[in-house]
Amino acid sequence: MTFFPKHTVKTIRHTATLFYYDGPQVFEARDAIGGHYIAVMVEPQDGNDCYLVVGVAPERLRQFRAGGLDLHTLISEGGQDEWYLAPVLAGLTEPLPLQAQSALLSDSGFLPEPGFLLYDRPAEELALKEARERHNLVLEIAADPPEAAAEHRIHVGTLIGLLSHVQIMIKHAYRAALAELSPMDKRTIDKTDAHIMDVVIPAAAGSFRVVLEAAKTPDLLGQSELARALQRLDVLFENAADPLKALATVKEHKGHLAGAYLRLLRFLAQHKTGLRYSWAEPNFSKPCFRSVAESEVGPLVAALSGVSNLGGEPVTLIGEFNKFNREIGAWGLKTETGMMSGKVRDGGPSLDGLSAGARYKFSCVEEIEEVEGTGREIRTLYLIEHGPA
Amino acid sequence: MSYRDPLPEGCPPEGAEEIATPRVVFRLVRTNPPTPVDFLSQRQENPSKVFPGISECLACGLSVFADRHDAVAKAQKLPNLKNRKICRVTLDAGAGRIQPTFQPSHHTWWPLASFDILTHSGVESA
Repeated sequence: MTFFPKHTVKTIRHTATLFYYDGPQVFEARDAIGGHYIAVMVEPQDGNDCYLVVGVAPERLRQFRAGGLDLHTLISEGGQDEWYLAPVLAGLTEPLPLQAQSALLSDSGFLPEPGFLLYDRPAEELALKEARERHNLVLEIAADPPEAAAEHRIHVGTLIGLLSHVQIMIKHAYRAALAELSPMDKRTIDKTDAHIMDVVIPAAAGSFRVVLEAAKTPDLLGQSELARALQRLDVLFENAADPLKALATVKEHKGHLAGAYLRLLRFLAQHKTGLRYSWAEPNFSKPCFRSVAESEVGPLVAALSGVSNLGGEPVTLIGEFNKFNREIGAWGLKTETGMMSGKVRDGGPSLDGLSAGARYKFSCVEEIEEVEGTGREIRTLYLIEHGPA
Repeated sequence: MSYRDPLPEGCPPEGAEEIATPRVVFRLVRTNPPTPVDFLSQRQENPSKVFPGISECLACGLSVFADRHDAVAKAQKLPNLKNRKICRVTLDAGAGRIQPTFQPSHHTWWPLASFDILTHSGVESA
């Protein structure tokens, strides 16, 4: 017995808005099996927004995104055999059913005029070119350790450590940026894994360069949450050539971000390399660029290492004092959010006089240490002050 | 200071610039001379429509281009916008707030109620 598949209506899902004017005018979409489509708004049908949709080859779509192929050509090529209309009945976050059309696309009056290019000039810089082609935020980092001097080469440990330090710094930069947003802005943001980057070009041509892309796709505005983090990095690296200015800037950003910055600088010093980076979103006219030369790393580390509690962040806990070891200075406080544990600090208050089962307010500093080469962070709470809750 | 359209809380966003000095922007309109209909926000045109993925704040703003070239070389080439006319709008202190959004040159403008848009607008010859 032969089974024939039931007739199903092909649907697509919006993936990225490429041109906006009082609504998405041009967007790209994927079907259920990963096929690529381009959609262009046409005159409304029965009061609903409506799009002309054609399937396109991924490489031609990439060329269009980069500004090297015009929309008319892209759609004419894609619509030679099949083209569709897609009325928007339930919004662009729902699957759009495609209505196959039998007339020639060239006779339909729906084709855009020739000459529509997404960008007026092609991107010359790698980060911007990749950002446009990928329609996402892209970060390019370059290091020049001694082994990269004569050929395209980098020690495994150096590459792993570099990527790990950069990712950790981005994580803390994103957290710091979020902390300054209003509660309402925070509520509207999808923060899940927003700080994560993927390596997309592990060894770009030139000195040792790695290209990373935001792991999450940008929002419908084409903006990536990661931009918040990278703007913070730009501030910290702004005065890398001037340790005094850099010191003042970093002091303004005391906390885990500053701690991660110092650890990155120490790593660079240890591996005898500077660091250059540039990043861009698709709509940038040029990438943001910052660098720290190998010769600048040592003075920076010296300046920043002299700041006490540079990487510490204040944490206040209220709870029941119920697990402790006075000999080694370890303590536990049962708070509303769970058991929190920490240590006393040399020169700080001891646990003497605290009663098991009583409630206290602990003022602490949280510090982060990194397990060398693993990217794993160990957080420790140090008791600074205590009193009855 | 009240905006022309009812806006959600926190709108315009903090990053939107208050227009304090004269600047020219370009909007695509249907008629010459333009009418108030040409300056309706998406929300005003579609009071009950859901704009998934587009914040209510953006739906309450107006799309304009800072660069005339983008209106001509891009927007006017699209099937849905090709019959529109280029309208120059001179914004001045009291015009409201504006912010770059989406692609280069595109801005979202939130006009103040007291700003008379039509007296500051004129359709340009092709």
